[in-house]
Amino acid sequence: MTPLTRRLTAGAACAAVAAVGLTACGDDEPADLDTISMMVPLLGSQAPAADSELQQAVEEMIGKELDLTWVPNSDYNDRMTVTLASDDLPHVMVVQGKVPAFVQSAQAGAFWDLTDKLADYPNLTAEDDQILLNSSINGDNYGVFRLRDPMRTAVIIRQDWLDNLGLELPETTDDLYDIARAFTEDDPNDSGDDDTYGVVIPQWPGGYATASPYDVIETWFGAPNGWGEQGGQLVPGFDTPEFLAANQFVKQMIDEGLINSDFATMDSGTWDQPFFNGQGGIIIDVSSRAGVIMNLFKDQDPDNYGDYVAMTGNLAGPDGVLRSYPTIGYNGFLAISRQSVQTEEELDEVLSVLDAMSSQEAQILLNNGIEGRNFEVQDGFAVPIEGGDSDVEVLRNDVTSFAQLGTQSNGWLAYDVLPEGGPERELWDHRQEVHESDLATAVHNPAQPLVSETYVTRGAQLDLIIADARIQYLAGQIDEDGLAAEIERWYAEGGQQVVDEMNELYAQLD
Amino acid sequence: MADNSPVTVAAGARAAAKDKPDKPRPKRQQAPLRVRMLRHAWLYVLLVPGVVYFAIFKYAPMYGVTIAFQDYLPFLGFSGSPWVGLKHFETLFTSPDFFRILRNTLLLALLNVIFVFPAPIVVALLLNEIRLSILKRAIQSSIYIPHFLSWTIVAALTYLLFALDVGPITQLMNSLFGARFNFLADPDWFRPLIILQTLWKSTGWGTIIYLAALAGVNPNLYEAARIDGANRWQQMRHITLPAIQSTIVIMAILMSGNLLDTGFEQIYLMTNALNRSVAEVFDTYVYFLGITQGAYSYSTAVGLFKAVVGIILIFGANWLARRFKQNGLF
Repeated sequence: MTPLTRRLTAGAACAAVAAVGLTACGDDEPADLDTISMMVPLLGSQAPAADSELQQAVEEMIGKELDLTWVPNSDYNDRMTVTLASDDLPHVMVVQGKVPAFVQSAQAGAFWDLTDKLADYPNLTAEDDQILLNSSINGDNYGVFRLRDPMRTAVIIRQDWLDNLGLELPETTDDLYDIARAFTEDDPNDSGDDDTYGVVIPQWPGGYATASPYDVIETWFGAPNGWGEQGGQLVPGFDTPEFLAANQFVKQMIDEGLINSDFATMDSGTWDQPFFNGQGGIIIDVSSRAGVIMNLFKDQDPDNYGDYVAMTGNLAGPDGVLRSYPTIGYNGFLAISRQSVQTEEELDEVLSVLDAMSSQEAQILLNNGIEGRNFEVQDGFAVPIEGGDSDVEVLRNDVTSFAQLGTQSNGWLAYDVLPEGGPERELWDHRQEVHESDLATAVHNPAQPLVSETYVTRGAQLDLIIADARIQYLAGQIDEDGLAAEIERWYAEGGQQVVDEMNELYAQLD
Repeated sequence: MADNSPVTVAAGARAAAKDKPDKPRPKRQQAPLRVRMLRHAWLYVLLVPGVVYFAIFKYAPMYGVTIAFQDYLPFLGFSGSPWVGLKHFETLFTSPDFFRILRNTLLLALLNVIFVFPAPIVVALLLNEIRLSILKRAIQSSIYIPHFLSWTIVAALTYLLFALDVGPITQLMNSLFGARFNFLADPDWFRPLIILQTLWKSTGWGTIIYLAALAGVNPNLYEAARIDGANRWQQMRHITLPAIQSTIVIMAILMSGNLLDTGFEQIYLMTNALNRSVAEVFDTYVYFLGITQGAYSYSTAVGLFKAVVGIILIFGANWLARRFKQNGLF
């Protein structure tokens, strides 16, 4: 291609991308590694300014300028797909998991394969090799994973309702059923009216095996987490008797009114509301939601806010065996573009920067902020400094954004935030305990590192077949035969191919 | 009076509209093209910005359509991605999704033609009959308002009003019919809800163009018709409707090109696990595949197919219009 046609082609590509609604085009520049450009999801509402105090502190620590593009979290995957199609990739990009567009690009060579390189950098050497493997694509690591809690599942229950009815926290799914029934029928709020129910479940946007309450309950019943191993072969988790048993259990609760009847359409952003307003009494989600709800009660009843929220971890199934639903242990990774970082020397420079950003000092900077400015250390906890001028306000806001840059793949070395009051501290300690003990019974997905070719192209549609069929079955739109027929459809429309490819990859992995 | 039938009134109206009968023009020797171009050089200069605009922003991006015939990977680029011909179209036409999506899209399009297209005409005619101009203007302004709300707000309102057991409309319907309505999750209610939303949001705005056409009708015609004894119904049928007929035809042709545009946001926001079987249309399918899945080539092929159908429809509608002696768009 001559430079002119190349430019024209790029222009056409830009225009095509612009037609989708986004623009991300610029001229080819020689790699200038005094400034490292990064694309990062923005979780708050206000993107940090380029000259912010925190960014300057980070830049000083790593000895490079940073050029950060903050993209709202809700649009991040869409924006990433479009950016991949442009010719102006940042040096480093946060990738939120193994989404198809990324997998295809990585396998075509758009990102550096870091499998044999990470061990050369002390702060990028993974603390947990299992998570490193999980974050890989069939054993190849195309990024530095961002560490997260390996266990988060929790059952959150109205403490005051339990007390009213003289009930204990559940230990098994049978207990869960009994409590949900009592919450529905035994007037736990002493109102004299039939105005309460058991479990609150909102519309779930994800597909099958995306940590929905259904996925969690299936695991409690003994179904595999995503994929299971039977006789050395991988089988999809929904093609097991335990999957059906779990959903029969949920369907019974729905039919008996123990779960909100608009479970298929309720806005997931309002999940806390029925619990807080005293309509529903049980939420099955991540443990951090317990703290969020406790805060709601704190605003309403500052004296007794500790009396409303109880929390426990995973529940034993009908056979009495405790199986816990873990997380995948990471939340996406930082991938390095081969288009903007072209030589091994440049790659080394970028990896050194990421290495510096994972040192203990940098982790504290990214996750806690600047000591003495917005937090102080007390008993190994970070204590936020209240008040201060507007600069401190900005700093507090920026810390939540910059936490997205950190990987901590070498382990969490920053400070945890000190829980505010007595009830919060109690809840926090309890959470740590429950997570710790549940981790021993975690049911891991053996297929986590595997990405099959057919799954990349058809996976999302296939997952939706199962997720929709599950909801349709629970809502009574289809019966058990209909559910079985939908699972057959999954196999027929490409699922069988996925199973074959996954088993082939699985055999190669060992 | 009785012999002044409405037919003669209408014929009079038509004759009035066409007071210059077509005559064959005398043939004239035309100057060569070059001479004519030179003579009108400044007109061509004025044309340049428009041509450049279309070339850069409308035609150049069409080059990107080639990825529908490739296994396109951004890293490899337009020139490096392997050429696969019609593979993606074969996949589309043999996919089990295809007929479901085509059916959903066409059904919504059909409902749009039946209910949404005539609504502004009817409302415009009704408004036209209102004598009290302050009332007319008040109604006009208030029915424009929904046009300015985003689909997100419309969807949120719908969720509030039609929520299971607690929505005011659901409660009303439940007590009226003694049944338990589940508007938001029941596939049978999906299309009625979508059409209701579209009617509510777009009808008022759509009346503008018809009201403008109605304002242009010569009042003398009504006066003449009244003298001839035509009642209001007859006036509307033989004066008002013929007067806005060409506007209706043009609007119909324009609409036919967008027939398969079912409104991405609206449908995306109203879709859930229980109604997806009837809710998935080409627009949501392309978004799902292209943007969330990164299937660039396949989703481009789907979009291209949709565009081709749109072109066929617009030409077909134009041909039909001319066939029935109406002024077509081109």
